[in-house]
Order: sequence, then C-alpha cells, then structure tokens
Amino acid sequence: MNILRLAWKNIWRNKVRSGVILSAIAIGLFAGTFLLSFMQGWILGTVNSDIKTQYSHVQIHNADFLANYDVNAFFMREDVENEIRRGVARNAPTAEIAFRLNLNGMLASPHNAIGVTAKGVFEDEEILVTDVWQQIPDTMGVFLNDDTRMAIVISSRVADRLRVRLRSRIVFTFQDVHGDMQSIAFRVGGIYRTTNAIFDEANVFVRYSDIFSYTGLPEGAVHEAAVLLPDIETSNIVAPQLREMFPDMSVQDWSQMNPALSMYFSYTKFMGVVILGIFLFALSFGIINTMLMAVLERTRELGMLGAIGMSKRQIFSMIMLETVFLTLLGGIVGIILGIAVVLPTMETGIDLSFFMEDQFEDFGFASVVYPILNIKMLAEIVVLVILAGILSALYPARKALQLKPLEAMRQ
Amino acid sequence: MQKIIEIKDLVKIFKDTAQEVVAVDHVSLNISAGEFTTIVGPSGSGKTTLLNLIGGLDTPTSGSLHVDGKDISLLTEREMTTFRLHHIGFVFQAYNLIPVLTAKENVAFVMELQGRKKEEIDKRATELLEAVGLGDRMNSRPSKLSGGQQQRVAVARALASKPKFVLADEPTANLDSKSAENLLDIMERLNKQEGVTFVFSTHDPRIVAKARRIIALEDGKVVSDKSV
Ligand SMILES: Nc1ncnc2c1ncn2[C@@H]1O[C@H](COP(=O)(O)OP(=O)(O)OP(=O)(O)O)[C@@H](O)[C@H]1O
Ligand SMILES: [Mg+2]
Repeated sequence: MNILRLAWKNIWRNKVRSGVILSAIAIGLFAGTFLLSFMQGWILGTVNSDIKTQYSHVQIHNADFLANYDVNAFFMREDVENEIRRGVARNAPTAEIAFRLNLNGMLASPHNAIGVTAKGVFEDEEILVTDVWQQIPDTMGVFLNDDTRMAIVISSRVADRLRVRLRSRIVFTFQDVHGDMQSIAFRVGGIYRTTNAIFDEANVFVRYSDIFSYTGLPEGAVHEAAVLLPDIETSNIVAPQLREMFPDMSVQDWSQMNPALSMYFSYTKFMGVVILGIFLFALSFGIINTMLMAVLERTRELGMLGAIGMSKRQIFSMIMLETVFLTLLGGIVGIILGIAVVLPTMETGIDLSFFMEDQFEDFGFASVVYPILNIKMLAEIVVLVILAGILSALYPARKALQLKPLEAMRQ
Repeated sequence: MQKIIEIKDLVKIFKDTAQEVVAVDHVSLNISAGEFTTIVGPSGSGKTTLLNLIGGLDTPTSGSLHVDGKDISLLTEREMTTFRLHHIGFVFQAYNLIPVLTAKENVAFVMELQGRKKEEIDKRATELLEAVGLGDRMNSRPSKLSGGQQQRVAVARALASKPKFVLADEPTANLDSKSAENLLDIMERLNKQEGVTFVFSTHDPRIVAKARRIIALEDGKVVSDKSV
C-alpha cells in the first residue's frame, strides 16, 4: 500500500515533465477513442443504411435466379410466405417481408437509354421493408401510392441521365418468359435519392400489378423475398434458420449479398484496434523516455532506498506502478475527453458532406456519420492502455533494478 | 558488554584497470552494544569502505565479519537487503530522505517496509521525531527543512526500524558547525537514554571530541583505538 502511494506521489515530482507526457497520452487516446467510435459509426451507418435501402437482412430467391437474373427462375409467393413468417416469428416477431419481381431491362427516354433493374413491388409491404419511399423529397412525387397509372419511381441520378422530370413518360423494355421483347410505357411518379449512387443508378420501382401481366409469369410469381429484421444480431440467428427451412432455394443475408461491405465491417473493427495500437506504440516511446529520465535522475535516492532495506522487487514495482499510473491517468483523461466529444454527436451525427461533398455517396458510404460508443470498445481501449503502460514500464523498471545501492549513492 | 560487531582480518581491495587499492587492510576490531564510536582518518583512509562493509552494502575481499554472531558475508544479496532493513540503521551524508514524503512519512516508511502495524508505526514515528526535536515539523517535506533538520529526520528514520546499531558516514559533513553539534548532541542523548549503538565517521575534531571511542584509520589500517 505504501509503495502504491509513494509511486503516485512520485509522478508529481516533475510536474512539467509528467504534464507533457500525460497530455500526449491524453491527446492520443482522445483521438483514438474518437476515431474508433467514428469509424464504427461510419461503417455501421453505411451497413444499416444499405440494409434499409437495398439489401434487407435476408433475401430469398429461386436457386437459379442469381446466376443470370433469369425471368424464369421464379417462385410462387403463396408457396413460401407462410413458412417464412413462421420461420422468423420466434426470433423476430416484428419482421417485415416484401416480395418482388426483378426485371432487368432498358429504360429509355427520347434522350437516352440506360440499363436498370425494375422491381415489381407490392407497395404497401415494400414501404415497410425498404426506405426508398422516405428518400423522395416532398416535391418529387410519391412511392407508387397515388392514382397515377403505370407509375414508375426512379432516382434523381437516373432522371438526370435520361433528362426526364416528374410525370415524364419513359419506356421500359425487357424480355418476357418466352424471350419476346416487351416495351411498356411508364410515367415518372416519384424521384428518390439515396446516399448510394450505385444503387440509385440501377434500381427503379413499379407496381407488381402494373408489370406482372407483361412478364408471362403465372399470377403470384415473384423473384425475390426480402426480410427486414430488427438488427444485424437477429439476422445472424435467423438467416441460418431460414437456410435450413429452404434447402432448395437461395437464402442470403446482407453480408453475403455485399461481401465487400461485410468485410469493411469486420476490418474496421480490427483496423481501429490496430490504429490505436500504433498510437500507443508511438506513445510508449515517450513514456519510456520520461520514466527513464525519472529513474536516472533519482539514482542516488533509489540507491538509498536499497541501502535502507527496500527490496529490488519493491523498487521494481514502484517504477512499474509509476509508469502504469501515468499511462492510465493520461489514458483515462483522453478517453473521457473522447466520450465527451462523441456523446453529443451520437444523436446529431457528423455531416461529412459539408467538406467532402458527394464523394462518399458516390462510393456508397453515408455522408452523415453517427459515432458509436460501446462498453466493449471502451474496455478494449482501457486494456490496451494498461498493456502499453506495463510494456513501457518494463525497461525503466529494469534499469532501476540494475542499480547497486552503493554505486548508485556514490554518483 | 555484548559484542554486536566482530571483525577479523577484514580486507577490501578495489581493483582498477591500472592498479589495486587496498582500502581496508587487515582490520580486526569488535564493537559492543551501547558504544558511541567514531572512525577518523584522512581522506582516502578507508572510513567509508569500512562502514559500508559493516553495513552489508559491500562485500569484503577476505576476512570475516559477524554481526550479532551471524556471518553476514555469507548472505545473498536479497537476504542482505532484508538484514539491513531489520538490523542496521543508516544515516548518510546526503540524500537520506524521500523528497515526496513528509518527515513523518519518511520515518514511517522503513517501518512500513518491515510490515509493522499502522498504529505502532504512527506512534513510533511521532515519538522519534519528538526525540530529535522535530515534533512541530512532522508534516513538512524535506525541501522545507534545513540541512540540520533533514539529518535529524534521517537519525529518527535510522532508529525507526529498531536496529542493532546505527552507521553514519560523515553525517555532519554538509552541516554548519552549530547544526553539526546539535545533531551529535541528539545522537549522544539517544545513545545514553535509549542505549542505541552508534558508529560514525567524521573529519570534524569537535565532533570527534564527543565520541567515547575513537578508531583512527590510515591507509586502510587501524593505527589507534582509544576509549575515552
Ligand atoms: N569503488 C571504488 N573503486 C575503486 N577505489 C575505491 C572505491 N571506493 C573507494 N576506493 C578507494 O579506496 C580508498 C578508501 O576510500 P574511502 O572512500 O573508504 O576513504 P574515506 O576514508 O572514506 O575518505 P573520505 O574521507 O574522503 O571520505 C581510497 O583510495 C579510494 O580511492
Ligand atoms: Mg568517506
């Protein structure tokens, strides 16, 4: 106990020097905490917004569909709907399911033509699963739920490329089940814009009831069932269960639909720890330097302590404790500062578009980041700090150990 | 009187690259409980070396050294540290005290290392500081004390562990003559009243005059040993 107190007091001998290293550690950990919560928030925000806009948590297709989006690779809604609902009910009673036709084809205006996927949706259930409808500005129409006949919802990016506006007529051309080309005239009923440019340029929405009759498919045929669950954790439980229930179909969760994103997700966590590790590694040199100075400058005193009967182990522990205290103190101050800065932004978010414009959205990343703080992450940071403290303490403490009382005092 | 230090044919040779220095040259002497003994001699005569050997801070080249009947040259470094903690009190010329601790905490520190009970530590530290005339400066840090006061704290600290004897290598070297005399008076009183054994070295003739036994060294040899 007395060694603990002595170590604590020793930190404050050279207030300037301790203050400098404490500030360095605090700033490092402030930056580390902020960076970690920012990175996690950024990636989770991107993942969740992609899930909400395009992937949902789980998608089910005919086993042959994904190979080349064959119109003929359909399944009957009535065959699976009840079973899916039963499958998710236990773990996710609030899950929502949407069924769709997926038709690849050309969308043409008098000015231009581009390749898109037209999703034939049941608009009432679609709005419960995806949030595209929320991304239609007030003046830009609605998501299929008015009386516009043959309505199509396109993104502003598609609208720009086709040079069309709300209520413009455009033609969608695709191959039906018999291989015949079908051209259907639609009227732009809504223009959305998500934060994901890639998604926007590829997807348009029409009513199932409007397009179904042109496909040559039997009534009730769909290509896709999308299941929205409460969160990613639930998805990790439910997806395997659905896979077991539908062995003859393709059941994918969000991470399989976008492996790159899921990899970012894991790597961001890992990279955060690596970056923090590098921060601490750099800081540990400062810590070692400071403590080495503290030991060398106290050579006589350490010799005297040995002479009056303080054991080497006690002297070693004292220097270790001093170093760990210093590191931990700086670390905790930094983490608290980090939390203090992050907490208010968790609600409001940090708007990157302010200085980055659309660059993030072009690559499919959200431009408003909601940083995330979680206990596990903070605990990991604290453990890393303690580890760094102990490792940097070893060398100075060993130096103190090598001092012989007599020689130390003679200096 | 009971012999607490028995030295026979003690030799300490320092081997430099160039030459050998025989710092302690076949010294034999005994010190008994309750002595108030000084070791004198010109600079380089081996006073410090001899005190360091007796205090177990250095190991002899040859000869034997028994403290309380125990051959301390046989102890390992770790055992020696423990031995010093429990049996020997030290007063050095300078750097005796831990600067971040108060006078009382400095005195208490050795007893804490010994693992004594808190109340006992508190009581003894207070008593000792009062005995060296620092009852009113117990909560001062060393930097707030004069050199003489610091050395008095060091004496109190040396006694705190209830050692067999106290070794003091030129404890007054950094003090003005008045403080030096004052420190010696305190040591003398502790010796008389509490029976503490003191062995100290000095250059100062006025300090020498206070000792009851004077051992004179020259070139590492005992040249005279007088009891007053
Ligand atoms: N560590 C050492 N290495 C080499 N020689 C040493 C060492 N310590 C002491 N000596 C030598 O041993 C001799 C005795 O030294 P010591 O310090 O014991 O003398 P001293 O009587 O205490 O002198 P002073 O009055 O100056 O303190 C001296 O010649 C000194 O140079
Ligand atoms: Mg000397």
